[in-house]
Amino acid sequence: MIDPGQLPILIVIIPLFGAFAVSLAGCCLSKRWCLPLTVLALAGSGWAAFATLNQVIARGPISYRLGGWPPPMGIEYVIDHLNGLVLVVITVVALLAAISSKRSVEVEMPNRINLYYPLYLLLVTGLLGMTITGDAFNLYVLLEISALTTYALIAVGRVRALHAGFNYLILGTIGASLYLLGTGHLYIMTGSLNMADLAVILPDLYSSPAVLVGFILIMVGIWTKMAFFPLHTWLPNSYTYAPDATSCLIAPLMTKVSVYIMLRVMFSLFTPAYVFDHLTVAAPIVWLATAAIIAGSLLALAQKDFKKMLTYLIVAEVGYMVGGAWLANRYGITGAILHIINDALMTLCLFLAAAAIIHKIGGRKLQDLKGIFHRMPLTMAAFMVGALSMIGVPPTAGFFSKWYLILGGIQAGHWEFVAALLFSSLVNAVLFFRIVEIGFFEKPENGEIAEAPLSMLVPLLLAAASLIVVGIYSGDIVTTVIRHAVPEGI
Amino acid sequence: MIWQFDLPILTLIVICGAFAILVKDLLGSAIIFGAYSFLMCLLWTEMGAVDVAFTEAAVGAGVSTVLFFAAVHRTSREVRSRKSGRKLYKGLGLLASGILGGILFYASGDFPGWADPASPAATHLSPHFITRTIAETSVPNIVTSVLADYRGFDTMFETAVVFTAGLAVLILLRIGGCRTAGPVWQTAAAIRPAYGDSIIRFVTRQLTPFIQLFALYVVAHGHHSPGGGFQGGVILGASFILLAISYDLNMAMNRINEKAALLLANSGLLLYAGIGLLCLLLGANFLDYSILQRILPGVDGVAARSHAMLGVEIGVAVTVMAIVMLIYNNLVSNGTYEKGL
Repeated sequence: MIDPGQLPILIVIIPLFGAFAVSLAGCCLSKRWCLPLTVLALAGSGWAAFATLNQVIARGPISYRLGGWPPPMGIEYVIDHLNGLVLVVITVVALLAAISSKRSVEVEMPNRINLYYPLYLLLVTGLLGMTITGDAFNLYVLLEISALTTYALIAVGRVRALHAGFNYLILGTIGASLYLLGTGHLYIMTGSLNMADLAVILPDLYSSPAVLVGFILIMVGIWTKMAFFPLHTWLPNSYTYAPDATSCLIAPLMTKVSVYIMLRVMFSLFTPAYVFDHLTVAAPIVWLATAAIIAGSLLALAQKDFKKMLTYLIVAEVGYMVGGAWLANRYGITGAILHIINDALMTLCLFLAAAAIIHKIGGRKLQDLKGIFHRMPLTMAAFMVGALSMIGVPPTAGFFSKWYLILGGIQAGHWEFVAALLFSSLVNAVLFFRIVEIGFFEKPENGEIAEAPLSMLVPLLLAAASLIVVGIYSGDIVTTVIRHAVPEGI
Repeated sequence: MIWQFDLPILTLIVICGAFAILVKDLLGSAIIFGAYSFLMCLLWTEMGAVDVAFTEAAVGAGVSTVLFFAAVHRTSREVRSRKSGRKLYKGLGLLASGILGGILFYASGDFPGWADPASPAATHLSPHFITRTIAETSVPNIVTSVLADYRGFDTMFETAVVFTAGLAVLILLRIGGCRTAGPVWQTAAAIRPAYGDSIIRFVTRQLTPFIQLFALYVVAHGHHSPGGGFQGGVILGASFILLAISYDLNMAMNRINEKAALLLANSGLLLYAGIGLLCLLLGANFLDYSILQRILPGVDGVAARSHAMLGVEIGVAVTVMAIVMLIYNNLVSNGTYEKGL
């Protein structure tokens, strides 16, 4: 049996070896093997992630030394409550999205299956590696992997995807370079790359301009990667024109992992004392987050293409999480962390539903949705669960994180942020009611039931169910996990 | 710091950087960029970072220039830009660069002095690496031991980045997807006669074995001198690109075809990760090479580290070689493998 001490590394290397297996199977055997192997690898990784989280809950944070070298000489994996949870979310979302991708990949790129799935697994490897690592440079290496795979997986879509993917490539590269530059500044000043080691050395250097510049560069780099307003311009087009299978994976995960990294840099590399008290930028950033929420919501309202509408909602949701983190109080940070999970699941639910609809009706315009409730009742039921969660209706998950964020906003006295949250709920209600109006009340051209294939329906229903389950158990999630993830002294 | 040496190089780097952007002819821009890389390579050497300089020479000045050529060859030499809103975008871009430059300049005032022995980078971890490398890994080249052992996990994923880049180029460019069924590529297509220069072909043909031999030396001797898997792999790949340029694409593809290249790319990285997995299966942490003493006859844990490092360097070299070829072949033929440069 496997030594439980080796679980952390298994989370990352199972998908990595899976990528080789899929690539070799596609090359030498048959393309039929690609998807089953992908699902198998993700399931294995998910099992390891769950087991690791259990260990963390039972016995506290785990450290794993790669190559057996003690940190800071070697690279270290550190799993605590925060990233243990994010790891589980990543594997679950990637697994559901992979199962759902079967039909759309077969239709959209039958010749490229043997290249698509290795890249898919490498992307998941990259995201997991970024989340699990306790080393600032190792994070950059995995960031490169997830970025490169994303560019390819987006650009392989229809004609306009190439242009959108290219835009993302330029901006994503700038973001990653800024992160690297910032890490370089910290290295020059400290001589270390290990996050825990940096956290020990940095407090003596908090007055240094170079450390300040390092922090700014890392933050702006991550914000570019997460599409924080006004650095969001690359996101809507690239997520809209990407193949549906790709959007279902990256829309829920990329921005959320970036938010996690932001939290990690703010609280593990630096301290709340530096980020909130020494620097006086928290208030302007909450204002920027407010602007992100309002701009994202309004732009979503202006869209006629429902997949693009969903991508603008992501821009607004990023505002929720960044704002929550910079409210500098316990409620806000709890809300931001809880929202990482909830938003990943509800974005997954909505994009899986969108993929199923596009697969069946072949269009993405709101007007194509006429009578969709009659034709695809199960898909639309799941879609409505996602929509209610997006609006923030209890008992769906979205309500609870929004509740924490609002409490945080009130406690910090950031009324504009509270107002923006309520405004965005209102706009979401309008958006989704519009879909109900078109889909439910307008008569379809043919009223026969034409439900999505099972491979798309089952992951979608699971995602919708998970929203309700996570909603009901969100109190437990907060007390057993997130309470320990919020930094002390806040 | 030898200012008589650095000042001209730094000045030239700035000039090259500016002109690589300003020149309208993209081929010219690629050449200037190659010169820029060469100057960077000199600068690295002067800093004493010979391994980095070697990589810069092989990748920056060498292969990436050829890849730029291939891309320009298949697209366009001229710069065409949209007229509308051009001034505004340029202004915003200039502003952003100005701000970035400003804060970088502001931070650099705080940096420790050039090559200051008391700087944090020289006092925190470096002394451990400098004094303990031989005792812990028995590899004289510290760069190799840091790269392939202390931070070997990073290097594995750096190789995975190269691998990913190859797959990305394939999925985007290869017409009709990758061929996997049937005979991999038409065998022994006759080398097209009557075009090309016979002197160039003759010289290339005589030179190729020596280039490849040198590449193998660079891989194998990375423990003792600058070099290693990345540089050796790039040189190996470049030797095939040289064949493809002086003859044609078929000539190179008959040596290593698409399926073989994909298999090689996979197996190189698999060798690296597999050595890591072997350590795991033997009961140590991932990539903890010292446990390999159990299966390597007559070596202790320290020597096992040294041997395993050679293994992973070979893996890196194989993957890099295969991927460099795959990227070039696809870029230059637009994914059809029909006609090269």
